Amino acid sequence: MEDNTLQKRDSITAQHRKTVIGNVIFNILNYSFFTLFAVACFFPFYYLFINTISDNDLVSSGAVKLFPRGIHFGNYISLMNVNDLGSSFLVSISRTVIGTILMVLASAFVGYLVTKKEMWGRKFWYRFLIITMYFNAGLIPWYLNMSMLGLTNNFMGYIIPSIMSPYNIILVKTYIESIPRELEEAAAIDGAGYFAIFRKVIFPLCKPILATIAIFGAVGHWNSFTDSLILMSGNPKLFTLQHRLYIYLTSSSNISAFMSSGNVTNEMVTSLLNMKTIKFTVAMVTLIPILIVYPFLSKYFEKGIMLGAVKG
Amino acid sequence: MDVSTEEVNGKSKLAAATANASSVKVKKPIEIALRIIIIGLLICMFIPAFNPTHLSALSDKNASLFTTGISYGSLSEGFSRALKKGWIEQSVITMTYIGALITCLGLVTSGIGCAVTLGELRLKRIGGRLGIIGCVVGAVGTGLILAQYPGYAASKKPDKIGAVIPSGIYVFFAVTALCLIIGIIYLLTLPKADEKDKYEMAPKYKLFLMFLPFIVLLFLFSYLPLWGWRYAFYDYTPGAELTSENFVGFKWFAYLFENSATRSDIIRVLTNTLAMSGLGLLTSWMPLAFAIFLAEIKNSRFRRIVQTVTTIPNFISWVLIYTFAFALFSTEGFVNQFLIDAGAYTEPINFLMGEKGIWFKMLLWGLWKSLGWNAIIYIAAITGIDQQLYEAATIDGAGRFAKIWHITIPELMPTFFVLLLLAIAGILSNGMDQYLVFKNATNKNTIEVLDLYVYNLGLGGSGGMSQIPLSTVVGMVKSLVSVILLFAANRVSKAIRGESIV
Repeated sequence: MEDNTLQKRDSITAQHRKTVIGNVIFNILNYSFFTLFAVACFFPFYYLFINTISDNDLVSSGAVKLFPRGIHFGNYISLMNVNDLGSSFLVSISRTVIGTILMVLASAFVGYLVTKKEMWGRKFWYRFLIITMYFNAGLIPWYLNMSMLGLTNNFMGYIIPSIMSPYNIILVKTYIESIPRELEEAAAIDGAGYFAIFRKVIFPLCKPILATIAIFGAVGHWNSFTDSLILMSGNPKLFTLQHRLYIYLTSSSNISAFMSSGNVTNEMVTSLLNMKTIKFTVAMVTLIPILIVYPFLSKYFEKGIMLGAVKG
Repeated sequence: MDVSTEEVNGKSKLAAATANASSVKVKKPIEIALRIIIIGLLICMFIPAFNPTHLSALSDKNASLFTTGISYGSLSEGFSRALKKGWIEQSVITMTYIGALITCLGLVTSGIGCAVTLGELRLKRIGGRLGIIGCVVGAVGTGLILAQYPGYAASKKPDKIGAVIPSGIYVFFAVTALCLIIGIIYLLTLPKADEKDKYEMAPKYKLFLMFLPFIVLLFLFSYLPLWGWRYAFYDYTPGAELTSENFVGFKWFAYLFENSATRSDIIRVLTNTLAMSGLGLLTSWMPLAFAIFLAEIKNSRFRRIVQTVTTIPNFISWVLIYTFAFALFSTEGFVNQFLIDAGAYTEPINFLMGEKGIWFKMLLWGLWKSLGWNAIIYIAAITGIDQQLYEAATIDGAGRFAKIWHITIPELMPTFFVLLLLAIAGILSNGMDQYLVFKNATNKNTIEVLDLYVYNLGLGGSGGMSQIPLSTVVGMVKSLVSVILLFAANRVSKAIRGESIV
């Protein structure tokens, strides 16, 4: 009898030991995988950065590997002499700011309007809005249409088409529907009209979701590259920073071709920069705004993606 | 919309309701006719064939009145040579442009008037007046355009300028006149406004009018492009005109299959597209696994860091990712330097060149960019699983993997299923950014997906002649197939889960 229980206990401990060992091995593998993947995600950023702040001769000879050598920030300063970079930076910044503000305001207002059951033809217009998410005419008809509307080689071509974003409108609509109706009703009894209710009640309450869509919209604007490539081909002054970076990356021409012959002589410039570092430094400048907003972003994106999952 | 009247309206909602009931009968048919004509005028504004500014053979025949009215460039474009040679006066073009602008303003005024007639009596009277004023202004603008005809006809080179009076002028004169007459009748039949009448509009129309500007935006950018599908039925080269002579029916659709070069291109591009989408589908379980294994890590700080770091790549553009690829994998890149130093080989290899394994490389970059991001939805779903399920399983003696297998995975399946169906529906749309930036002379045949092919074909991205009709056809077929796939996926979802995904 006793023997039997002892045996049983032994087998349980043996099994237990086995699971413990299994767990330890699993944990080691698990931790190593995620460490490796995280390093793989982080390393390119780091590598690019140390290349832009290291001594340019060492960079071009390939001596900079894991740590920066001969640290200096001259590359960032000499970027000011790179042709057209300033205008591209301005275009990118202004399209991001203006485009995002207009998109957020429009999404908020339309999101509010489509919750109003009493609107004339609400169902029809809502479908009219939703269908556009699943269907598009294709690249060429879109381009011809933009050209017909006079939005090619025109800064407004970045802004106006992106004002209406059905997906963001749905996010806002879902959010507004979760706000107690009584708040609106109370405001209506106090004599507020639709617009006043929107401005004084709904808009302030929607701030969390509006922050979410604003950040996504801003990242989208900042990263957008093909619209600059397709629509603005006739006006290099309107190229976005991403487009400019693409041009630098794919061009093999001499560095001096990109420099303005301003206050810096060509000799000085070429000694400061080489093609590789200019590419990397421009990339870094393009990257920095994203890295700056990222902490705010991570606070909101989980909320955004979850709300997106329950759309309808 | 007007805020102050809004607020007044809110206060007198009850009063308005009673006023509605007693409001005088309005001649409905006339009102509706007026609205239809004004909407028709506004639509004519977007149809190139009715553009009254086509006074010369040099005008851009595919520009509508709206385009001409908002951008001087689209009007003067065709005349740059004529202006330089002095065949035509600059002032003639400028005056034509001003005429177009005035016509547009007039039509927009009519449009606003048309919208205002949705209100009660007082607003109806204002709307009618605005409609009439708009028509008069529009007619004046059209008259100004017509007055420029002698300027075109008096050119020193009449054969080059080819002055004509376009049919659009007659159309606009006729329709604005009709609109004017109906507008006057409408105003006359409207009863006089009483002192007690307020500037009122029913809430349902008020809301609609607030929505209207956004509907116009949607129409312009999401529905109007469909009008571009007509290019698929013409023999069109940039700058040409769409006329009945170059109408070719379904020629380009047949061309797609009959022309051997195009056919082999399509087969190649479709193979690339399906291969890369297929690899994407085959790896679509990875975010799920990523989330499950990440959840197994008990150290919450480590988990948080991993999640943050692996999500960043999703927020950078493909151009930047290509910069990374360039920095790491080009001849002078990190990997080569590292391996040469380690003595693996002596001659650097450019990993970005060549078409060997390009599908796989693209998949890896795609995973690098989006694996962490795509896992978030599963991570959130795992946090949402009822903890009691796990507790019960522990009591029953379930181990770690048993719990994953019997609880976590089944709970995540619905989410996985929806995302998989959506991915299948989007199998033809890989986007073009990634493939465009990674494309080079040595891999351009194996990297070209459908979206990139359409771009290269239609906008001459590859430096060749742009073939607008053919690329429109390809885009059209792609859009239609995608919609069919989406509906099919939706059907499947309804059949299996009883829920729709769109």
